[in-house]
Amino acid sequence: MRLDDFARLLDTHGAEPARWPPEAIPAARALLERSATARGLQAEARMLDAALRDSLPGPSPEALARMRAHVGRAVARMPVPPQAGRGGVLQWLRPWLPAGCGALVTLAACGFWLSRMPQPAPEEVLGAPRMLAMMETAE
Amino acid sequence: MPNALTLSLRPLVPWEASIAKRSTPAPGAEAPLARDLSAAEDAVLLGWAAEGDRRAFDALAGRHLPLLYRVALRVTGQPAEAEEVAQEAMLRLWQNAARFDPGRARLGTWLYRITANLAIDRVRRARFQPLATVAEAPDPAPGPEATLDARQRHALLAAALEELPPRQRAALALAYDQGLSGAEAAAALSVSTRALEGLLRRARRFLAARLRGEEE
Repeated sequence: MRLDDFARLLDTHGAEPARWPPEAIPAARALLERSATARGLQAEARMLDAALRDSLPGPSPEALARMRAHVGRAVARMPVPPQAGRGGVLQWLRPWLPAGCGALVTLAACGFWLSRMPQPAPEEVLGAPRMLAMMETAE
Repeated sequence: MPNALTLSLRPLVPWEASIAKRSTPAPGAEAPLARDLSAAEDAVLLGWAAEGDRRAFDALAGRHLPLLYRVALRVTGQPAEAEEVAQEAMLRLWQNAARFDPGRARLGTWLYRITANLAIDRVRRARFQPLATVAEAPDPAPGPEATLDARQRHALLAAALEELPPRQRAALALAYDQGLSGAEAAAALSVSTRALEGLLRRARRFLAARLRGEEE
């Protein structure tokens, strides 16, 4: 392993050999034994590891309790998780269907139903004024 | 004429009937209150949560919220935002509890993915807000004594982290802070292992250069 390969290893996986790919460990250890520069690079990577570790505090007990209570309250208001497979065909189609397609299908069904309704006979529509005229003349 | 007792009992009849019709648990099934939540594995808790057991979900939240908070804090850099992101990730898990298949993905990896994506989105949105609403970053220019002083080094690192692209921060959070394997971290970020290594390499080189007082 060359120095630039070792530097790349440190940049990718950090200073701890436990995190290095197993196949790279023997060559990296051999390089560390013979090269002071490699040891210096590892020490610098170790400093960065430590700085990263120290820079990330966990949540305080108060913050954790606050988050847990918030999640608990929200979950109490939410319905039980929808069960997988209950939606049948619609559940599989939903990702591909555009928004509002349910309303469109309903509209088309209504239109089809109205078009199939029996139409009133023309004489029923046109006959009403004639009937009125006949009643007036009879009077 | 019906007496008062009959009238007062009449509305109870439908309730009694509905209670009688309710299904009783199968002989082998465990009553929710008798479940040992602390000993149950994540997948088991999630299965109970999918049936509507909110106590099981609370136990799951107690286990995962601290980890999700740390991932979100690494990416956003803001404790309040990290809290909101971690909470939102847990609520997404509740909504998808019944659809989650533990055989296809680890719960932790799924949660990390959701958390990282939510946090990355927040950082990207914050970058488009007016400068007055964004937290002021410390001056990244180091003095000659900065490399020796731990507090100043911490400030330098915080400033350098803030300059990192959010995906590189997420890669650091998952691979170093949470100790995920390369494959798991890559899966959580929806990238190849090679791409994840590139993110980590660029992030570490940038941070190391800033800690040395160099401009990358």
